[in-house]
Amino acid sequence: MNSLKAFVRLIRFRPWLYAANAAAWAAIMLTELGTGYMAKLFFDSITGNAPAGLTLASIIALVVAAGLARVVSILVGALIDIRHRFSIEVLLRRNLLASVLAKPGARALPGAVGEALNTVRDDVQTIEDLLSWLIDQFSFVPYTIAALAILLSINVRVTLIVVFPLILVLIGARAAAKHARRFREASRTATERVTGAIGEVMDGVQAIQLAGAEAGVVAHIEALNRVRLRAAVRDRLLSQSFHSFFWNAATLCTGLILLAVADGLRSGTFTVGDFALFVTYVGVLTEVIASFGDFLIHFQQAKVSLDRMATLVEGTRADVVEHHPIYLNGPLPPARDASETHEPLERLTVEDMTVRPARANGFLLDHVSFSIARGEFIVVTGRIGSGKSTLLRGVLGLLPTETGRILWNGRLVEDPASFFVPPRCAYTPQVPQLFSESLRDNLLLGREVGEQNLDQAVRLSVLDEDVARLERGLDTIVGPRGVKLSGGQRQRAATARMFVPSPELMVLDDVSSALDVETERVLWERAFALPNRAWLVVSHRRPALRRADRILLLKDGRLEATGTLDELLASSEEMRQLWQCDALESSRA
Amino acid sequence: MRLPLRDGLSLLARYVRPHGRWIVALAILVLTTIGLRLVNPQILRHFIDTATAGGERGILIRDALLFFGIAVLAQLVSVAATYVGETVAWSATNALRLDLLRHALALDATFHKDHTPGQLIERIDGDVATLSNFFSRFTIDILGNAALVVGIIALLFREDWRIGLPILVFAVLTAWLLGRIRAVAVPHWTTYRKLVAEFFGFIGERLGGTEDLRANGAVGYTLQRFFALCRQLYPVRWRSALAGYAMWMANVALFTAGYAIAFGVGATLWRASVITLGTVYLVFTYTELLRGPISEMREQITDLQRAEAGVRRIREMLAASSALPDDGTTPLPDGALPVAFEDVTFAYHPSRREEPAADGRLEPTVALRDVHLSIPAGTTLGLLGRTGSGKTTLARLVARLYDCQDGAVHVGCVPVADVPLHELRRRVRMVSQDVQLFRATVRENVRLFDPSVSDERILSALDELGLRDWVLALPQGLDTLVGSSDAGLSAGQAQLLALARAFLADPGVVILDEASSRLDPATERLLEKAVDRLLAGRTAILIAHRLSTIRRADQIAILENGCVIESGEREALTRDPRSRLAHLLATGMEEVLA
Repeated sequence: MNSLKAFVRLIRFRPWLYAANAAAWAAIMLTELGTGYMAKLFFDSITGNAPAGLTLASIIALVVAAGLARVVSILVGALIDIRHRFSIEVLLRRNLLASVLAKPGARALPGAVGEALNTVRDDVQTIEDLLSWLIDQFSFVPYTIAALAILLSINVRVTLIVVFPLILVLIGARAAAKHARRFREASRTATERVTGAIGEVMDGVQAIQLAGAEAGVVAHIEALNRVRLRAAVRDRLLSQSFHSFFWNAATLCTGLILLAVADGLRSGTFTVGDFALFVTYVGVLTEVIASFGDFLIHFQQAKVSLDRMATLVEGTRADVVEHHPIYLNGPLPPARDASETHEPLERLTVEDMTVRPARANGFLLDHVSFSIARGEFIVVTGRIGSGKSTLLRGVLGLLPTETGRILWNGRLVEDPASFFVPPRCAYTPQVPQLFSESLRDNLLLGREVGEQNLDQAVRLSVLDEDVARLERGLDTIVGPRGVKLSGGQRQRAATARMFVPSPELMVLDDVSSALDVETERVLWERAFALPNRAWLVVSHRRPALRRADRILLLKDGRLEATGTLDELLASSEEMRQLWQCDALESSRA
Repeated sequence: MRLPLRDGLSLLARYVRPHGRWIVALAILVLTTIGLRLVNPQILRHFIDTATAGGERGILIRDALLFFGIAVLAQLVSVAATYVGETVAWSATNALRLDLLRHALALDATFHKDHTPGQLIERIDGDVATLSNFFSRFTIDILGNAALVVGIIALLFREDWRIGLPILVFAVLTAWLLGRIRAVAVPHWTTYRKLVAEFFGFIGERLGGTEDLRANGAVGYTLQRFFALCRQLYPVRWRSALAGYAMWMANVALFTAGYAIAFGVGATLWRASVITLGTVYLVFTYTELLRGPISEMREQITDLQRAEAGVRRIREMLAASSALPDDGTTPLPDGALPVAFEDVTFAYHPSRREEPAADGRLEPTVALRDVHLSIPAGTTLGLLGRTGSGKTTLARLVARLYDCQDGAVHVGCVPVADVPLHELRRRVRMVSQDVQLFRATVRENVRLFDPSVSDERILSALDELGLRDWVLALPQGLDTLVGSSDAGLSAGQAQLLALARAFLADPGVVILDEASSRLDPATERLLEKAVDRLLAGRTAILIAHRLSTIRRADQIAILENGCVIESGEREALTRDPRSRLAHLLATGMEEVLA
């Protein structure tokens, strides 16, 4: 889909609203014709050139009426435009958010969150502006035709003398637009270099202080600042010259009109009223052309924005502009599909799974197979980088798999990512994310469960004492990404969140990284009181390893060995080493 | 209406004064533009009066050309004004940026714990940018617009007081009414901006938490929340946008009244033969000319008020002071320096931003307790202990990133607080685990942008460390760009550069926090040799992650929860079967080396 088609597709999202919007703005522009015409009537009437019956009072009344018509049409246009803009931005943001959430969760964004947020905020705004400004361009057409018709009816020669340079201006605008973009880009790059460098410096402020490198760093940024100064001044100079040129174009055209009408005014074939009309209309026409020039620049930017959005969702332009309900009225969509029934877990089988890391810091998982039955506690262990987290994410569909299949009670799971969700399965990542709302909302995620269930989840995850200590209990707002809680509290809150929907398969990634040994022991003790669950857990701690029905020992992405702790300690050198690593810590506990 | 006068003007005085001449030039250019705008209608009047009186053709052509010439001149003047204004604005704000940067670099870790790099970018670059206009055009534009309005009205009075007075009354009423409407609109805009910020906070968090949302089946819920938030946003957006349109509608309505006044007054006086037809046209044109400055001045004053927030935050930052008084005067001797910890107790203070201790985690956590260690000049201490046991903290105290609450740290037999900070940090070098690389060449990364360090010095330092061949084998040698995502160095390679940085400074004490990640054997060998060379003849504190490193140490100290639980000669401890060290060596080390 090319960009133009994509924009048309967006226009067709609310076609009637868009048409009404265009009509309203065409009306606003047409009332603009009145202003100039009133000036003509006024001057003609006082010089005695006006049609009979027009007194000064009636002209002033007409001026006021035209003004009021303009105000009313602006109000109507405004009301429609606000609604239309909002509909478009909700649709685009919905599409971005839904597409990102539909991707493998551990690899949902192609870049940093900040970049993605910029796209959701600014690129959406750019496209919304484009559609709205396109309406302005439409509304100029009837105005331009009418204005030219009136001007031609008054004096063909003067019209041609004035309109010809206007067309030149139009062509000039296109040429300048290209340069403007190049300078704008240079200025933006220079700015990024500066902010990037400031960020680096602030990131490494300690290293700089320790190295006594303050002066050098300041000089470095000073040099970048100088580059930016040059680029920014050049950029502003061009865009400002461009703008003031348009502003002045009206004056320049007035000068042309003066030259063209000198004889007519002298001989009386061209009235002062005609002159006032020409000056006013030509003024508006230059604005129209200026705005068209701006629009062309903006159109290029909107194309870039559209592509950035497609990049964010790692899809096509068509995905970005797809039509979906936006629920501005009526009931909201359900938080989850309640109708779906599921088959209770008997056995989960993973066959021959391979996951290849897309990023340098990811870890490979190489043809791994295993299974879990209901009631079993499976511990995945191995050194850093052996592929433990990758294994969990691969099973849950949070990372795309290269080979292998997953069977639930022997039946193939087609789309693991949407299959392994509560109430079948729940998951706590190694570094869980909480959201800036109350602890309660974080745990419930929109589920409706009784207070008792919630309390149980809190107790199971050994969060009860912390909640009791919090001044506002479960209603405490946890702050952006949960910063008001300690690392361990966040981890346990995420575990509680997992317990809330009572899933059958519990998947936990290395809770020990944020929990002390004692807390972790209590956690396992309480958790095992739950009947009929299956557990898939990454851990290297002894309490977990001892309890395991089976240990999956990973090494460099391969399944090195499986079995109970005793079996593995007897058979695997790798397991013996890992067990000893944990010696110091666990013996103290 | 409150203008950010006091604080703003003091900044203005400090940063704009050096550009005084340019400011004068800018004022002249702006006044010229205004003059040209005021002259134009006068020419039109002359033209109309001459033409309608059947005057000479030559005069009309002259008027037309004059008018044309003035339009071209106005274009040139406005471009020149832009050039001067932008140059002044950028020069002044760049100076302010650098001052803020210097200030931030002089602040200690307590400040930086409270302010994320993102916030500081916003402070040093974003807030300053809002001042950019304030520094250059704002003041002049507002004054210019005021001058334009005054000029128009004065010129109308010059024609006839019966013209001047009604237009004056109109201008005053319009300015007042637009001000009132704006006052009604502004709170709507503020509310909207606040809600939008929250809305994007929601989106940003969700974009960062996709894994949690997907795996916990909260995708539908997230979208539901999204739609609910949009719905909440709509009425606020509606009111705020409509308030903006109200300004425009008021403008149209008011100026319709203005034209009616101009027409009425003009026609009446023309009929009474008080003024010419050209003058009627002049009144009409001047009324139209009022439109721009009256609505612009309002905007500009609002912008000025917005700049006030920037000024306030900048002054706040400039007012922040370091918690480390730098008033020491004792110089350090050359060569290796002994280091001693005397009953050092240290706690990180909770950062100011956090709330007082209600949830039990914000009390200052004691990071070190009664640490007593002595490292003779030229020897090496190996530090062992689990993550969070206080190893890094101990090292930071030597470089005086913090001051300890109790006890004292001595370097070269002098308490660190008695040594000037720059002197201390020149003589004590810390090579940390995650090396900060700058997006710049290898050369700049090694010499840290100090232009006085020549390539020869860099190369000879690299040579000494055995790294010369390695660097010269990089794609562009010293000119290789590092630090960007596409030309990354491995953690080990980054540490090699950091060793070279430290070596260049020829310190008396080296603190080395080894890279804990696995290195490829080639890098590992290079690193080994370079560390040997760097430590030769220097006092060293090694935060060890590798058995080979421990073998380098003369003494060993094991930390646990901020206390030294064992310390002594490495060889003696190794031989003593009851020592922790011997136990660790026997059972594998990973836990304490983590």
